[in-house]
Amino acid sequence: MLDWIKSVLSDQFGFGIVLMAVLLVAILTAVAYSILLERKVSAWIQDRFGPNRVGPYGLLQPVADGLKMLLKEDIIPRNVDRALFILAPWMIFVVAMVGFAVIPWGGQFRWPWMDEGEILQAQVASIDIGLLYILAVSSLGVYGVVLGGWASNNKYSFYGGMRAAAQMLSYEVPMGMVILTVILATGHVRLESMVVAQTGTFFGLHGFDWMFWYHPIGALLLFISALAEANRTPFDLAECEQELVGGYHTEYSAMKMGLFFLAEYAHMITSSALIVALFFGGYLLPGWSWLNTSESALAMFCRVGVFGFKILFVIFVYMWIRWTIPRFRYDQLMRIAWKGFVPISMALVVLQGIVVYAEWPQWVTILGNVAVVLVVAAAMPRGRPVTGRQASLERKVQVSGG
Amino acid sequence: MATIIIDGQSIDCTDNVTVLQAALEAGWDVPHYCYHPGLSVVASCRLCLMELKLPHPKTKEMGWAPRLFPSCQTPVKDGLEVRFDSEKITENRRHCMEYYLLNHPLDCPVCDQAGECYLQDYSRKFGDSSSRMVEVKNKNPKKDIGSKTLLYQDRCVMCSRCVRFCDEVAGTSELCIVDRGSKSEIDIFPGIPLENELQGNVVDICPVGSLLDKDFLMDQRVWSLKRAKSVCPGCSAGCTIHVDHNAGQVWRLKPRFNPGVNDWWMCDEGRFGWKHVHDPKRLNRLMVRRGAETESPDWSVLPELARFRFERAASDAGTDKIGALLSPFMSCEEAWLLVRFIRGVAPESVLAMGPVPTDGEDRTFPKGSNGSTPKFTIRAEKCPNRRGIEMVLKGAGGRVISFDAFVKLAADGALAAAWIAGGYPNDWVTKPLGSAAVKVGDLFAQDMFENAVTEAAAVVVPSCSWAERSGCFVNHQGRVQPFESAIAPLDGCQRDGQFLYALAEETGLYDAAGVRAKMAATMPAFGELHVAPEEPRFAH
Amino acid sequence: MDSDQVEQRPARDWKATDVICVDQPELTTAERLYLPQVFGGLATTFRHMFKKRVREQTVVQYPEQKREMRKEIYRGVHRLNRDEQGRVACVACFMCETACPAHCIHIEGALSPWEDREKYPIKFDIDELRCIYCGMCEEACPVDAIELTPEYHLVGSTRDEMIYDREKLLMVYDRTKEDKPRKGPAVTGY
Ligand code: SF4
Ligand code: SF4
Ligand code: SF4
Ligand code: FES
Repeated sequence: MLDWIKSVLSDQFGFGIVLMAVLLVAILTAVAYSILLERKVSAWIQDRFGPNRVGPYGLLQPVADGLKMLLKEDIIPRNVDRALFILAPWMIFVVAMVGFAVIPWGGQFRWPWMDEGEILQAQVASIDIGLLYILAVSSLGVYGVVLGGWASNNKYSFYGGMRAAAQMLSYEVPMGMVILTVILATGHVRLESMVVAQTGTFFGLHGFDWMFWYHPIGALLLFISALAEANRTPFDLAECEQELVGGYHTEYSAMKMGLFFLAEYAHMITSSALIVALFFGGYLLPGWSWLNTSESALAMFCRVGVFGFKILFVIFVYMWIRWTIPRFRYDQLMRIAWKGFVPISMALVVLQGIVVYAEWPQWVTILGNVAVVLVVAAAMPRGRPVTGRQASLERKVQVSGG
Repeated sequence: MATIIIDGQSIDCTDNVTVLQAALEAGWDVPHYCYHPGLSVVASCRLCLMELKLPHPKTKEMGWAPRLFPSCQTPVKDGLEVRFDSEKITENRRHCMEYYLLNHPLDCPVCDQAGECYLQDYSRKFGDSSSRMVEVKNKNPKKDIGSKTLLYQDRCVMCSRCVRFCDEVAGTSELCIVDRGSKSEIDIFPGIPLENELQGNVVDICPVGSLLDKDFLMDQRVWSLKRAKSVCPGCSAGCTIHVDHNAGQVWRLKPRFNPGVNDWWMCDEGRFGWKHVHDPKRLNRLMVRRGAETESPDWSVLPELARFRFERAASDAGTDKIGALLSPFMSCEEAWLLVRFIRGVAPESVLAMGPVPTDGEDRTFPKGSNGSTPKFTIRAEKCPNRRGIEMVLKGAGGRVISFDAFVKLAADGALAAAWIAGGYPNDWVTKPLGSAAVKVGDLFAQDMFENAVTEAAAVVVPSCSWAERSGCFVNHQGRVQPFESAIAPLDGCQRDGQFLYALAEETGLYDAAGVRAKMAATMPAFGELHVAPEEPRFAH
Repeated sequence: MDSDQVEQRPARDWKATDVICVDQPELTTAERLYLPQVFGGLATTFRHMFKKRVREQTVVQYPEQKREMRKEIYRGVHRLNRDEQGRVACVACFMCETACPAHCIHIEGALSPWEDREKYPIKFDIDELRCIYCGMCEEACPVDAIELTPEYHLVGSTRDEMIYDREKLLMVYDRTKEDKPRKGPAVTGY
């Protein structure tokens, strides 16, 4: 029996299946707790306590919430498109979950009982086009939102769905460009190779040669686009309470609503993982070369931990932003995408392309980034401030004879 | 034809009217309490005073006379020039209102008249906002003056409308004014309460909250009532009325001005005759009997079911073995739809009209005067639509028989299927009909209450009261008068028009006017409605 | 007929200096770049995350701690006042029912059994779930019989429980009269 387990675990395919099961549970738990974290963070930022009644420090709140979601009456309004209405939350949830398949959680390792030369990837599926897979899958998520809005047969929901679709499509473009830049810089499309490519030394620290140093603007663009992709504030126009009464999930209740919720947070985790993997050295811990390169299982577990912490931090930033910045207007949102992000990200691609073609050292892109900032600052349209009100007022007073 | 000038505007008016009438008709809001178009003129309230242009006694020059004249008592004369918009008139109204309110308790919050009170209206429009009275107000007790009426003496403005009504219209003279001057009061003679059959009208004509209806006392505030234009179903006079309702409930009936029919009045029997509308014993579900079992299917099955049963009976027993009994409480439209259904299934079917309830003789008012033109008549025929049903039956042609013949036919077992419509507010089924009903093969009973016919019926179709239905009644004079539905049908019921509409293979919502238009194609009498003219509220 | 009686107000004597218009300031480069401002905002919220003392001082931990309400003006649960003889002070005039924008008051009036009073409510229901606590009813009442109290812990486990009837409303009065005595009602003879 033990041998069989060992042999399953030693096989990349078998290991992938086991990892999948573990991940499913782990991610769902993480999602539940990130909802709690969100509520806590929002409370702290607003000088409140947040959930603190269920369990110590409110730690059992996610359990209570989950039970509530499951036990609530599940209402399907009469005039909805039933099939699509039921399908939509599952669609968005499944799409958010399958993205985890290609995330490189801990790099290469081997179990203690395995032979030298045999090696495993701590990843569900190590495929050559991992990055493209993520892009493809995550853009499917828009279907769930649009279908939900459409099937609800409610004009507000429909608006929500349409907004979400337009927004996701727009931000897909800069996102793709930025990822293209990273592909050019590292020369890989396979996610784990991209992480490995950042193992170099920077400022004397092993494993600190992060893409972030070379493409800070790229990282920022990716981060903001990910916010928009995940429908998070300040880009959550698809679910505005004020104008859309909740947007595409207005008509949903109970666990269907819960699935939308879970999907949003799962989406956050995927995109955080992606950002960390692309720009922040994935599972690499700066300055500890054993941990970064060893193939022992112990090192792998440590790397997973490091990765987890980095993801947690990015998620925290997500939340922090949500409770700081108010929502954009829809035209602003579109303008930022098409007039701001798309040109900037194109400039980054060109920049990286030149560097690669001319075989210049990678640090040249830092200068290039500075140049981009300067150009943007110079090209930023100057709004014409309204002036001269006082003067016009005085004239009016004189005309009306005081 | 006379032309007079009011406030500088010339008005054409008929002769033999007073200036007040002419002014009200032309849209002048002239305050008045004692004047009522249906009563004699006493000119006692002094609110309607006007200025009049008269020749100077010496110089013969035309000028505004220094004294004010009651417009309700001054007949129009060609070229007469009057005005209401002068300072003097405004001041007169202001002072009159102050006097009226001197001893008035001003308890509008608990007064049932509040909201339709002319003291309130005139105070707001013509009066002052506060009283200068410092003495203690006179208190007058309220008096129980009749079985249906209460008198709150301290709210009274002594317009004497109620006294004149009892004298001139009811002809019973129960009310009188006792004492004089500031002590005068309305009262009854000792031991002779207000008991005439029109006493509800004194409450209507009282411009303030002095005479109140015991039945409506403290039930509702009038501003929350909604009005539906209806026709009283109490007798064949066809008095036009307002059904005042709120929250799905009828609260009171009020007469609606209709010259030539009921003028401004209605009788108490009709006024309080709506209680059956909210009778808890009313049938409220469709019932289909199968042997000893009854079931209550959805209303949507009724048209299919009825058509199937009647067609089966017609093909099994012959189309002459089908019959329908119409009720004089049905509206013409409903009767016509039912006839269309029955005759559509069985062209040879027999039609008849149910019993016409009567109660003694017509009672005319003023009582005791045998004047040839009574001011009000309560008809002996206690149903609203005998003539209408007769017209529909005549229009239908074919085999139309009397009620007795119908009963006999049924008793002989010559009816394989029949539709018997009731809708009477009381138990109307005669003994012979009750025993004959059992012999009808497939009996559909449409009624409001349980009776011998509904017990014998295979299918019981609950009927709605007139307040829930719409259509038209034809009164004893042959006037076709429409009425609208006031409240939603009782839970579990459908408006009669609605299911009959479906039976007659019409789709959509029953619309009385549309049905009437179709009826008018064969029966032109239904093309012409008698619609009473509206009176402006200020001409009360 | 009212409008022409409204007096024409004399024109206000405006001076140019009475109104000061503030011109929109021009944005600096940092402000136009937007992101520096965002970071400023993030810093502020971050600081707040660690202000434990502020948190503890400002948050009212509801069931354990309760907030003191301004009893003269706080609009909580209704009460029906009693008159000097302990009878319900309401005269069933329906003014509150008429004024209520939420249509949550339901009254049934009747002739009162007392000599000195004309009408009184035999039924007086307020649906506290429908109520929006606007206080219009209190405003409308001619005898100051209905008042809103500073009580805000309004709980019930069924909807029916939240429909306060006459007795319950009188009980609220008995409970709160010490704390907030009835306003001196208008002198009326209803
Ligand atoms: S009669 Fe009119 S003014 Fe007098 S209390 Fe009644 S509503 Fe008020
Ligand atoms: S507070 Fe406002 S909503 Fe509530 S009962 Fe009074 S009037 Fe109605
Ligand atoms: S307004 Fe006052 S007196 Fe009138 S019904 Fe309401 S509570 Fe009673
Ligand atoms: S005096 Fe003319 S109406 Fe009363």
